Amino acid sequence: MATPIHVPRINNNDDEVKVLAFDVKPGERVSAGQIVGQVETDKAVLDVTAPVDGYVLGFVAQPDEIAQVGSVMLWLGASASEPIPEAGAPTPDSSTAGPSPVTGKAKLLLARYGVKSDAVTPIDGRITVEAVERYLATHGLAAAAPAPVVAVSRPAEPRPEVPGTAVALSREEKGMAATVVWHRDCAVPGYIEIDYDPAPWAEYARAFQEEKGLLMPPLLPLMAWRLVEVARTMPRINATFVEQQRYEYGAVNLGFTIQAGESLYLAVVREAEVLDAGGFVNALGDVLRRAASHQLRESEASGATIGFSSMERWKVTRHIPVLPPHTAFMLAHAAARNGRAVLGASYDHRVLNGGQVVAALKKLSSPT
Amino acid sequence: MMSDASPMAADSANGVPAPFLSDASGKPRIGTDPASLFAFATLIRDTEKLILDLFSRGLVSGTTHTCLGQELCQMAVVRALDHPDDHVLSNHRNHGHFLSYSGDFHGLVAEIMGRRDGVCGGYGGSQHLAYRHFHSNGVQAGMTGIGVGLAAALKARDSRGIVVTVIGDGTLGEGLLYESMNLASVWQVPVLFVVEHNGIAQTTYTRDTLGGDIVARGAAFGLDTWRVSDREAGFIDAAAAVVAQVRERRRPGMLVIDTGRLGPHSKGDDLRDPGERAALAAADPLAALAACLPADEVAAIRASCAAYLQAVERRALASPAANFDPLPEHSFRPAQAGQVEIPEVADGNVRAALNSALHGLLAAAPETLLIGEDLHDPYGGAFKVSAGLSTKFPGRVISTPISEAGITGAGIGLAMAGRRPIVEIMFADFLSLCLDQLYNHAVKFPGMFPEATVPLVVRAPCGGRRGYGPTHSQSPENLFVSVPGLTVLYPSHRHRVGQLLADAVLRWSNPTLFLEHKLLYGEKCDTADYEILPAGDDDLGAALFPTLRRGSAAPDVTLLAYGGMLPVAERAAKILETQEELAVEIVAPALLAPLPRQTLLQALLDRPRILVVEEAHHHFGVSAEILALLAESAYSGALARLGTLPVPIASARSLESAQLPDEAAIVAAVIDLL
Ligand SMILES: Cc1ncc(C[n+]2csc(CCOP(=O)(O)OP(=O)(O)O)c2C)c(N)n1
Ligand SMILES: [Mg+2]
Repeated sequence: MATPIHVPRINNNDDEVKVLAFDVKPGERVSAGQIVGQVETDKAVLDVTAPVDGYVLGFVAQPDEIAQVGSVMLWLGASASEPIPEAGAPTPDSSTAGPSPVTGKAKLLLARYGVKSDAVTPIDGRITVEAVERYLATHGLAAAAPAPVVAVSRPAEPRPEVPGTAVALSREEKGMAATVVWHRDCAVPGYIEIDYDPAPWAEYARAFQEEKGLLMPPLLPLMAWRLVEVARTMPRINATFVEQQRYEYGAVNLGFTIQAGESLYLAVVREAEVLDAGGFVNALGDVLRRAASHQLRESEASGATIGFSSMERWKVTRHIPVLPPHTAFMLAHAAARNGRAVLGASYDHRVLNGGQVVAALKKLSSPT
Repeated sequence: MMSDASPMAADSANGVPAPFLSDASGKPRIGTDPASLFAFATLIRDTEKLILDLFSRGLVSGTTHTCLGQELCQMAVVRALDHPDDHVLSNHRNHGHFLSYSGDFHGLVAEIMGRRDGVCGGYGGSQHLAYRHFHSNGVQAGMTGIGVGLAAALKARDSRGIVVTVIGDGTLGEGLLYESMNLASVWQVPVLFVVEHNGIAQTTYTRDTLGGDIVARGAAFGLDTWRVSDREAGFIDAAAAVVAQVRERRRPGMLVIDTGRLGPHSKGDDLRDPGERAALAAADPLAALAACLPADEVAAIRASCAAYLQAVERRALASPAANFDPLPEHSFRPAQAGQVEIPEVADGNVRAALNSALHGLLAAAPETLLIGEDLHDPYGGAFKVSAGLSTKFPGRVISTPISEAGITGAGIGLAMAGRRPIVEIMFADFLSLCLDQLYNHAVKFPGMFPEATVPLVVRAPCGGRRGYGPTHSQSPENLFVSVPGLTVLYPSHRHRVGQLLADAVLRWSNPTLFLEHKLLYGEKCDTADYEILPAGDDDLGAALFPTLRRGSAAPDVTLLAYGGMLPVAERAAKILETQEELAVEIVAPALLAPLPRQTLLQALLDRPRILVVEEAHHHFGVSAEILALLAESAYSGALARLGTLPVPIASARSLESAQLPDEAAIVAAVIDLL
């Protein structure tokens, strides 16, 4: 029977010691009490002695190795030829159960695409990201786009109980969904309106039409132009809020809502402040025409710094627009009734206060 | 017109001059002749009566304890203190001590009424007073260890000052008193324990609660002892002689003064029978003094006291209610400039880093000292953190008796006296014994009194996974993070732990608990791929004691872990990354209290899933606070926490490892979160 010599404990509070050296060689005969080696912890060195007479069979630990207190350091045998006992199979650690059949990331992907795990063919017995991606590709689902960087944490949306069909959103609809989320999570929206007399504006637009020989009086483009002018003198309304600061834009990019068929666009005239009234009316006309035929260019579909929305076409007498992302002011124009009308604005309260909004609306309520 | 005519108006109450003289530091000079003694004792007595009268009129804020009948007892020792460094630590029954020390009658009355003119601005009321080197507190015997620390500081700087710590006879039942007497004896410091023996504690006669002899208690600890009675002739001189002997011998003593309480304990709670009260009144030492004086002198003294106290009352009533302007949100002092650079030990582990920091501190800062059990060489502390220090810095590394509360109190006293003590508690589990010292004392002084700072650091090894069982394995940070004004640091091998300790000792003048996980001692110090999170502007101490992070910038899950849990969290992160294909981030604070809220929110608010892991019994603890913080900040991702269940930690390794969260438990909790 071979006798193990265990790594001794030196200090009550150290579970590991360093094996310093062995003073014996395999095959050497030792007697009980003989020093066979040394171990060390921080600052203390201890001799290790043989508990019985015998022959050194071999070392388990090696010099300079950190060994667990209580583990076998070396073996002694009754004869030099005795075999070293097999190390006992390590006791399985109940706490380390095998990995789950679906990897965590794969689970997230499955949830994102609404796919059940049993639909996916495992790879090497596990459903991995690769396995899910294979499934998505063969089923015509969008390739796994990288997770959105803005990990605005939201709890998983509850699924409606009543059966129905999920219809994917168009690009514009997704845009509006994002707008609403921004408005809800990132802005501090307020709304103010004032009463005004629309007659002078109508008169002004008619005069403009006559002067330029246009087909129709361009009332809304002129009001939008007035908004550009006011934004030039009141940089606050052409601004947003970033990192606890007001961010005043260097250009006035006027966003104008236009409904084209089922799509609602925010068509943008960039750097409107460098134009004159005629130039702006033309530029806006061009952008709106392209929107009507779903031909907006990328630069005309993004980057608004201030907004204009009219619901006059639908005879709506008041509406409260949702602020487009990173804007602080959106003018709301509506239909007149009995010769009076309201002019309103949704605004970000972190950027503008009510008084400033009223001042802007007053200016906007008359053409000059 | 109020006028020019009164030459003494300046230092008096509403133009009525104080009927006593004061020395340069404002301390009344009370002569030992019967007239002087009678005059000051009458002032104290009439002040107490005024306070009881105000109490009856509903004008006192909270409670009060008067020293009626014990005026001479309270004056005798304090009046004899004539060194500018002399300290007085008193208890709930402190008006006589306070007035004899400060002469501030208006400040006391206004304080007890909760007025702005109160000597402590309304914080202290009747039983928490501070004035120069006078401090009282409402926990019986709670200040006795602090007194030993103050006396040790006096001794270290060769001052001739002494410390007087006053307790009542009922307080002879408090254990901390005996730790303190023993420490005072072992350290041979000039502290005088004064026992005011009035035979009663609140409503309980001391004879029913006291075993053995009072004076023999002092003698048993090797203290010089004296017993005197304030009803005997020569009492005042005898008390002064005791003070002189303590000052001369520079060693601790115990003075028992037999006295009699004439009034109630507080108000309306005197249940003693009328015969007993009459007997006490018949022995009233003030009446005895009056009897030695001519009747007209007695009348004149009484009249001048009455006039003065009427003015005191008028002025106190005129003072508006104390108010905070603005309301303080915390009592932490800001970080101080100036750093002792602690070199990183090449390839060193946490133990070596802490040891090197202690070397650096003791070498660079003469005000630092180490106090704890078994710190001396060759043992060097239970976990060898103080190895080599006692040899190199003799006299500044002090192995103490097994008296956790006592040495914490002594640490507080040393800190209040300008030293920077580092107290080691051998196992963090024993911090429960220090809790009163931290909770009712260390954090209270700086919180109440702007001039008091307590730059104390208490270090303690904590945590399990070594099979040490229920009382040597715990992580008690959950208890201590809720103590207002206490800083709790619990760094890991990923932090610059030596530098953190040095900064906590020298640059953070607030009482601080510094926790060290036993298993981290052997871990190599390595910041690895961690980066420092920018500290939120409003986060006190967050820049000095940074929070770290590593891993994905767009994580699927964020693990928040600290201290001894960090290596476990790292192993779990590895499993999650390799086996579960998840992007994992680890956020690792070292500062747990005051919690770096803004810093954490900036890092966590947009994360989709957060798991807070801790080794502590975590209900109501650190993770609870962090989860509450996130909930209050409208965090809407998925949240969970993992800690140790509310059961004793078992000794058997197999049981313990099932109780403490390990990497498998973390992985499982993350999977649940998905
Ligand atoms: C630790 C603690 N326990 C209980 C009390 C409540 N308490 C306040 S004074 C007092 C009696 C103290 O008696 P003694 O020490 O004899 O002083 P005395 O009131 O006689 O001056 C008690 C029980 C306290 N303040 N602190
Ligand atoms: Mg008593």
